[in-house]
Amino acid sequence: MLQGALAGLAAGGLYAVLAVCLTLMSRLVRVVNFAQSATGMFGCYVAVFLSVHLGFPEWLATLAGILLGGALSAVLGWIVSTWLAEADTGTRSAVTVAVLLLLISLAFILFGNKPQPFHPLLAGPAFTLGGVVVSQVTVVTVALAVLVALGCRAVLARTSLGVRLRALSERPTTAELLGIPARPLSVGVWTATGVIATLAVSIVAPSQSNDPTSLAMLVVPAAAAALLGGFRRLDLAVTGGLVLGMAQGAVAQADKLSVLRYFLPFLVIVALLLWTQRKEVWDAAR
Amino acid sequence: MRKVLPALTAAVLLAATGCAGSDAGSSGPIVVGSVNALSGAATFPESSQAAKAVFDAANAAGGVNGRRIDYKAIDDKGDPSAAAAAAREVVGGDSAVALVGSSSLIECEINEKYYEQQKILSMPGIGVDPACFSSANIAPVNVGPFHDMTLTLLYGTEVLKLDDVCALLEIAGNTLPAYQAAIGEWTKITGKKLKYVDSTVPYGGSDYTPYIVKARAAGCKAITVNPVEPDSIGQLKAAQAQGWTDVTWLLLTSVYSENYAKAISNAGAGVYVPAEFYPFTDATAPANQEWRDLMTKNKIPLTSFSQGGYLAAKYFLAVLREMKGDITRETVTKALREMKPISDPMVGTPYVFGPAQAHHDNTAGWPIKLATGTNKWELSARDWLRIPKP
Repeated sequence: MLQGALAGLAAGGLYAVLAVCLTLMSRLVRVVNFAQSATGMFGCYVAVFLSVHLGFPEWLATLAGILLGGALSAVLGWIVSTWLAEADTGTRSAVTVAVLLLLISLAFILFGNKPQPFHPLLAGPAFTLGGVVVSQVTVVTVALAVLVALGCRAVLARTSLGVRLRALSERPTTAELLGIPARPLSVGVWTATGVIATLAVSIVAPSQSNDPTSLAMLVVPAAAAALLGGFRRLDLAVTGGLVLGMAQGAVAQADKLSVLRYFLPFLVIVALLLWTQRKEVWDAAR
Repeated sequence: MRKVLPALTAAVLLAATGCAGSDAGSSGPIVVGSVNALSGAATFPESSQAAKAVFDAANAAGGVNGRRIDYKAIDDKGDPSAAAAAAREVVGGDSAVALVGSSSLIECEINEKYYEQQKILSMPGIGVDPACFSSANIAPVNVGPFHDMTLTLLYGTEVLKLDDVCALLEIAGNTLPAYQAAIGEWTKITGKKLKYVDSTVPYGGSDYTPYIVKARAAGCKAITVNPVEPDSIGQLKAAQAQGWTDVTWLLLTSVYSENYAKAISNAGAGVYVPAEFYPFTDATAPANQEWRDLMTKNKIPLTSFSQGGYLAAKYFLAVLREMKGDITRETVTKALREMKPISDPMVGTPYVFGPAQAHHDNTAGWPIKLATGTNKWELSARDWLRIPKP
């Protein structure tokens, strides 16, 4: 079981990074961004295309892919904050579902459905723990998740930019009346999360199945992890991601439980929703 | 007038269908169909494209006894209801005489009963699901994943002399018993048993590390898998990340492509596959020359799928050319049931439709290998590897 849990840590790290991005988006710009990992996937696919077909050096192609992921996210952010500035969270989030589906289809149309020759940025084992090799990818994704979460917390708590962002998320209209530039700040948040998500997917994609659908659908376990922190707390989002990855790894070790592996994120989502909504249901029933 | 119009319409319709009927008789085109995964998440367009190229070439050379072949390739979108509709469109609507060169993940299972009812025979270029190999009316040209698994295990234990072989099976639908039977066949021939079987490995999983860790802990030295390409790439990369580089992979033709070779940088102790047709990556082989020329001329990708479609059409034409008298569904079915086996250097076993209740006669693969760092498939044998007759 321990072996399995450690084996699931790489996936857990990736879930955690994406969960942190989702939490930031939800807190700061009132969106559950379902296209979070899809923009990352698309950036990676473009990077592979640039390096294989146009002969770009790998570092440059990867960098271009990451920037493209950020740019895609920025465009989406600009559209949402321009035309849906007053809309509720549900409507704003629904737009991102359309983008998710669009990016998956576009990836199939542009790059076909054959596997792409992703080149690993990191390969091989980092160290051995309890008989399981912990890969470099695992170490880097887990570290990235923790660093991003700590970094964001520091920015939000200690800088004037953080104060403005928090003001915007708590009282958007008041903040705007005080002269805080709402749209540029929102687009900035979209861009930053786009870059971070593409970076994380770029690190992990070469080490796992990397067809457009499975990469884009990483948003499901990430959302389950973000839900643990109620889409507000970064520390719980990181914990949720790591625990979910490890639980999936552990469950895969037992033949009888193995089928559960891919249902786990859904089970977690349902359980957390039931738990957090229990009072509303009970209150309504009273 | 109101009463006359419907009558007139009926008369026109009758005349039109009458004409269509006479077209399909002894002088009109011979309609041949196929049901294929042309769109959707997993597509195999090359098989029917190759079959079409063969029929086009035959039409250009004067057709069959002066009649041209009208080949219809219908898309099943990987969707059961679309697969059923596709078969009805081509068999019922277009009155096809037979189905040739189909390749689909699900078509055989969905349509086998319909083909029996309609007394039509199907020669898929690539048969995938178990029903393709257990129906009286379907006889695929290829070896199929089940004999493929027996072959890859035989090669691993009998030629490479590997011990401690494990299996990671990706099970979709009702395929588990067929894979178990394939492993059972290997056990019957060699008297050996697998060290460990994990039949819970998912299709399209994102991270296969837990399964790889489990297999390594169980002491496997070689692993046989029935993967689709992206899954296999994920599994090999998970093993690489774990630093497990001395494991041998005994895989199936499903991963035999140039794309796969390019995507794999670390193949452990080697990826071994029994190619179902003479390996297409051997560019100078005379066995593949005719196929290669035709595919290149028509800009069709050189893959196992296009080999299957090409052979299906070629066998079908050979049977058609032997036929005397009228060419209808009934006479074509009779001719295929009574045909003599056809040998071709592209396959290790002669093809025959015949009267059998199940068709799983292609039992030969050509062993090929992908070594770490080469990004290229190489022949690893000089002759076909055959499953010994019991």
